[in-house]
Amino acid sequence: MGTVHARSLDPLPMNGPDFGSHDDADLVEVEPQKKQEILENKDVVVQRVHFEGLGRTKDDLIAHEIGQVFKAKNLIEVMRKSHEAREKLLRLGVFRNVEVLIDTCEGEDALPNGLDVTFEVTELRRLTGSYNTMVGNNEGSMVLGLKLPNLFGRAEKMTFQFSYGTKETSYGLSFFKPQVGNFERNFSVNLYKVTGQFPWSSLRETDRGVSAEINFPIWKTSHTLKWEGVWRELGCLARTASFAIREESGHTLKSSLSHTMVIDSRNTSILPKRGALLKINQELAGYTGGDVSFLKEDFELQLNKQLAWDSVLSTSLWGGMLVPIGDKPSSIADRFYLGGPTSVRGFSMYSIGPQSEGDYLGGEAYWAGGMHLYTPLPFRPGRGGFGDLFRTHFFLNAGNLCNLNYGEGPRAHLRRLAECIRWSYGAGIVLRLGNIARLELNYCIPMGVQSGDRICDGVQFGAGIRFL
Amino acid sequence: MAAPMELYCWKGDWGLPSVDPDCLTVLTYAKFSGAPLKVHKVTNPWRSPSGRLPALKTHDDGVLFQPSKIITHLRKQKYNADYDLSAKQGADTLAFISLLEEKLLPALIHSFWVEGKNYVEHTRRWYAESIPFPLNFFLPNQMHKRNLERLQLIRGDSWREEDEDTERQLYTDAQECMSLLSQRLAKHKFFFGDSPASLDAYVFSHLAPILSAKLPNNKLQQHLSSLPNLCQYCRAILTIYFAWEGDSGPRITPKPQSGETPDTEEEPHKRRNQVLSVLVGLLAMVGYAVLSGIVSIQRVGPDHALEQGIAMEDNEEEEE
Amino acid sequence: MSLVTDAFVSQIAAVEPWPENAALYQPLKSEQVLLSDNASCLAVQAFLKMCNLPVQVVCRANAEYMSPSGKVPFIHVGNQVISELGPIVQFVKAKGHSLSDGLDEVQRAEMKAYMELVNNMLLTAELYIQWCDEATLEEITQPRYSFPYSWPLNYFLVFQRKWEIKRKMKAIGWATKTLEQVFEDVDQCCQALSQRLGTQPYFFNKQPTELDALVFGHLFTILTTQLTNDELQEKVKNYSNLIAFCRRIEQHYFEDHDSSISSSTKLSKGPTLP
Repeated sequence: MGTVHARSLDPLPMNGPDFGSHDDADLVEVEPQKKQEILENKDVVVQRVHFEGLGRTKDDLIAHEIGQVFKAKNLIEVMRKSHEAREKLLRLGVFRNVEVLIDTCEGEDALPNGLDVTFEVTELRRLTGSYNTMVGNNEGSMVLGLKLPNLFGRAEKMTFQFSYGTKETSYGLSFFKPQVGNFERNFSVNLYKVTGQFPWSSLRETDRGVSAEINFPIWKTSHTLKWEGVWRELGCLARTASFAIREESGHTLKSSLSHTMVIDSRNTSILPKRGALLKINQELAGYTGGDVSFLKEDFELQLNKQLAWDSVLSTSLWGGMLVPIGDKPSSIADRFYLGGPTSVRGFSMYSIGPQSEGDYLGGEAYWAGGMHLYTPLPFRPGRGGFGDLFRTHFFLNAGNLCNLNYGEGPRAHLRRLAECIRWSYGAGIVLRLGNIARLELNYCIPMGVQSGDRICDGVQFGAGIRFL
Repeated sequence: MAAPMELYCWKGDWGLPSVDPDCLTVLTYAKFSGAPLKVHKVTNPWRSPSGRLPALKTHDDGVLFQPSKIITHLRKQKYNADYDLSAKQGADTLAFISLLEEKLLPALIHSFWVEGKNYVEHTRRWYAESIPFPLNFFLPNQMHKRNLERLQLIRGDSWREEDEDTERQLYTDAQECMSLLSQRLAKHKFFFGDSPASLDAYVFSHLAPILSAKLPNNKLQQHLSSLPNLCQYCRAILTIYFAWEGDSGPRITPKPQSGETPDTEEEPHKRRNQVLSVLVGLLAMVGYAVLSGIVSIQRVGPDHALEQGIAMEDNEEEEE
Repeated sequence: MSLVTDAFVSQIAAVEPWPENAALYQPLKSEQVLLSDNASCLAVQAFLKMCNLPVQVVCRANAEYMSPSGKVPFIHVGNQVISELGPIVQFVKAKGHSLSDGLDEVQRAEMKAYMELVNNMLLTAELYIQWCDEATLEEITQPRYSFPYSWPLNYFLVFQRKWEIKRKMKAIGWATKTLEQVFEDVDQCCQALSQRLGTQPYFFNKQPTELDALVFGHLFTILTTQLTNDELQEKVKNYSNLIAFCRRIEQHYFEDHDSSISSSTKLSKGPTLP
C-alpha cells in the first residue's frame, strides 16, 4: 500500500491507512492503460465476468454484487463499476483480498468491443481466531475470539468471544445474516453475558441476555428493530454502598422491543467536517414479558459546518425520557446518566443529578447540548500525516438530568429541566483513534454546579465512542 | 470379633499420629474407647477402599469414611467413650462439636490449605513429599482446590465479600472458639472430668495440628499458645495415648494389639516408582535425541544412498 | 464484619443511641419466605424484642440480595447495615445492650456452643429438607422461592440456588444422608436442646439470651410451618419442654405487642402451637 500513497492525489487521506480501499483501486486502473487509446471513447460491452479463487461462496451472492458491471457502456464506466463491485465484495466480509483485471475478450464469440472482467479473490479462512490478554484496574483477563466468516456461503458470520478474567468471565456469541443482494438489510442474533462495574454508583451489574435484531434501510434512513431479553443481576460493588443502591440489588428480567432510526450524512463519524446526524431510539419494555416495564425515548442530533481555515463548527443536542409503566419505580440500570469527559465536560463520569451518599442514581429525563469549534493544531505540525489525527477544540457544554413527576404535566417538566442547568466551557486537544473512538484532553471550567455533583475542575482526560 | 476392623488414614508427622484432623479424630477416639483397629497409615488416598481418608473397613457395614459415621459405628460395636456421660453432657458434646465445626474448622482449613504461604511452604511440600510419585504432582493441588471450595461453601458469603474481611472474620471466630474451649475446660483434665470422651477426641484432633505443625504463618498457633490449659491438654493426650509414636513414627497401636501393619507396603511401591520414573525419563530423552539427532547419526552411516530411507524409518519407529 | 469495621462500629455505636427508625429487612412474609429464612428472621426479631429495641419489619422481595452477606435478615440502623444474628448481637452489644452479660465464662462458652449446634444441625437440616427433598422442593420451595420472578428467570434462580445448596451439602458431608437420617439428626439436636433446657424457663435460667432467641426462631418456625408432611414437626413435638419454651417466649414477647410484628398475627390466629 506504500506505493499507493505516492500516487494518491488526495492531500488528506481521511480514512486513514487502514481504510485505504479506494486507494487500492488506483492499482486496478494500471492494467487496462495500454488499451486506453483504442477503447477510451468507444462503446464497450462487458461480455463475461470471471471469478478466480471462489471456494465456498455461493454464486447467487456474487451475482448480485457484480450485476452492475454488465450495465457499463464505456471503459470509464466499466472501471468505475468494477471498482464499485470490488468495494461491495470487500464489504461482505467474505474475502481477504479482491483484485480486478479488465481485458479484451478473446475466443470465438468475442465481440470486437467486448471486455472480460476478472475478479481475483482470496476467501477468508473458515475459522479465524484471536487471542489477547488485557490488564486493567486490578483485573487481568484473557480474551479468546473465534470468527467463522461466510459460514454457509452467503456472507453469514458467526462470532464468539470469550473473556476469562480474574474476577469475571463474560462471553458473546453472535450470528449475522445479510440478505443476498442487499447487504444493508440484515438480521442478527446475539447471546451474551457481560459484567459491568460502575464505581460512580457503587454498582455491579451482570447481564445475561439474548437479542435479535433486524437492520434495514428506508430511503436515506437506516432502521433497527430489536428484541432483547436480559436477565440482570445488580449488586453492591462494596460494603459501603449507599442504602439506595442496596435496595436496587437483586435479579430482574427485562424483555424489550426497541426501534432505532439513524440518518447520518456526516463524512466520518469521529471528527466530521460536514453533514448531520440524527438518531432516534425508542424502547418499550415489559410488553413482551419480564418484570420491568417502561417506555424510553431518546435522541441525538449533531450538525457540522465547515468554516474557513479548515475549522469546523459542530453543535449537538441530546435528550431522553424514561416513563415507568405501572406502579414499579424505574430501575437504576435503565435510567440515564450524564457527565464525563465526552458528555458534559468538567464533571466527573456520570456524576450529575440525583445521588445518595455519593452514589449517583441516574435520572428519568435529561438533555445535553454542546457547541464545538474544531481547528487544526496551532502551526499545523505533522500536516498531511500524523498531525491530522489531532484537532484542537473550544467547547461549551450544558445539560441537566433529573427525575420527573409524571403527574405534573409537560409545562412543569420543562421548567424542571430548565432549572439548575449544569454547564461548562474550555478548550483541549482531540485525538482520533481509527474510526471508532477518540481521546480528549481538555481544560474545563464547570459552571452551574449543584450540590452533590462531582466536578473535575481543570484538566480532564477521557476516551469515548459517543461524544457530545 | 474375628479379625479387627481396618482403618485407613493419613500417616503422621510433626509428632502427631496423623496429619489430617479427621483421621486424627478417629484414631484418638479409637484410643479412648479401646477399639481394636488394624491401622493402615498410608500416604496415598487411592489406596483407601473408599478413595478417601479416613476410611474404616467393617465386616457388616461396608466401608465408612466420615469420622462421625465411623465413631457411631464404633459406638455400636460397644467401643463407647461416652458411656459414663449424663444426658446433659451428651448434649454438650454435640454442641461443642458443632462449635468446632462451625468456628474452628474453617480457619483450620484456611490456614493449612488456603493461606498462600502456608500452603506452598508447608502443606503442599509435605503432601508432595509424602504422596508417591506420579500422584504427588496433582493430588495436593486437587486437595487444595477441594478445600478451597469447601471453605467457600461453608462460609457461603465469600463470593460477595472482599477476601480480607472474610479472612479476618474467620480467624476472629476461630480465636473466640479456642478461648471458649479454654474457658470450658478450665482446670479439668478432660472436658467431662477425668476420663476422655468423644468430645475430647474432636477437640484434640482440631487443636493438635495447630499446635504441632510448623506453619510459616500460624496465627492460630499464636493464639493457642496464649491458652496454657489447652496446650497442656493436647500435650497430655499426646503423651498418655500416643506415647510411643515418636516423630513421624509409622507404628500405632490403638490398644496393645498384635496385628500391626506399619507401612512396609510402601517400600516396593517406592522402588517401583523410582524405576518407572527413571525409565520414563530415559525414554523421553532417547526419543528426543533420536528425533532431533537423526541426521547427525546418519551422516556417520556407511551408505549415503540409503541415508534418507533409513532416517525416515527410524523416525517412524520412534514415533510409534 | 471485620475487626476494622468492628472497631468503627463500636466507636460510632457507643455514641449513637438506638434510633427510632431502625428497620429489619426480610423476604415477603406470606408468599416468599422459606423455612430456614423465616427461622433466622424470627430469631433476630425475638432477640431484638428481648433487648427491648424497637425495630420496624420491612418485607422486600429482594432482601436476600440487599443483604451484605447474602443472607437474611439484616437490620438497617442509622447508616449501618448488619446481617445475621451473630453480627447483629455484636452490634447491639456495642450499643450497650446485651443479654449474656450475666453469664459466667463457662456458661458463655456453652451458650455459643449451643448456638452453633442450632446452626450446624437445625439450620442445615432445614436447608436440606427444603432444597434436597424433591417433594418439598417441588411443592413448597420452588413456587415460594421463585415467587417474585417471571418466567424463565424463576427456573434459573431456583436451579442456581439448588445447585449451590447441593454443593454445600456435599462439602459438609450431608449429601449422602437420607431424609430419615436428617430427621434423626433433628431429633438428636432437639434432644440435646431439651436436655440442656431441662425444667428451666430459659436456657440459662431466668433471663433469656441470644441462644433462646435462636432456638425459638427455629423451633417455632418448624412448629408453625406446614410442610409436605408433619414428620419434622413431630420430631420437635416429642419434647414437651421445648414446646412450652416456645409458647413462653411467644406469649411474653410477641403476643402483648400489636400486630406490627408480622409473626404475631400468625401467632394470635395460629392454633398451630398445641
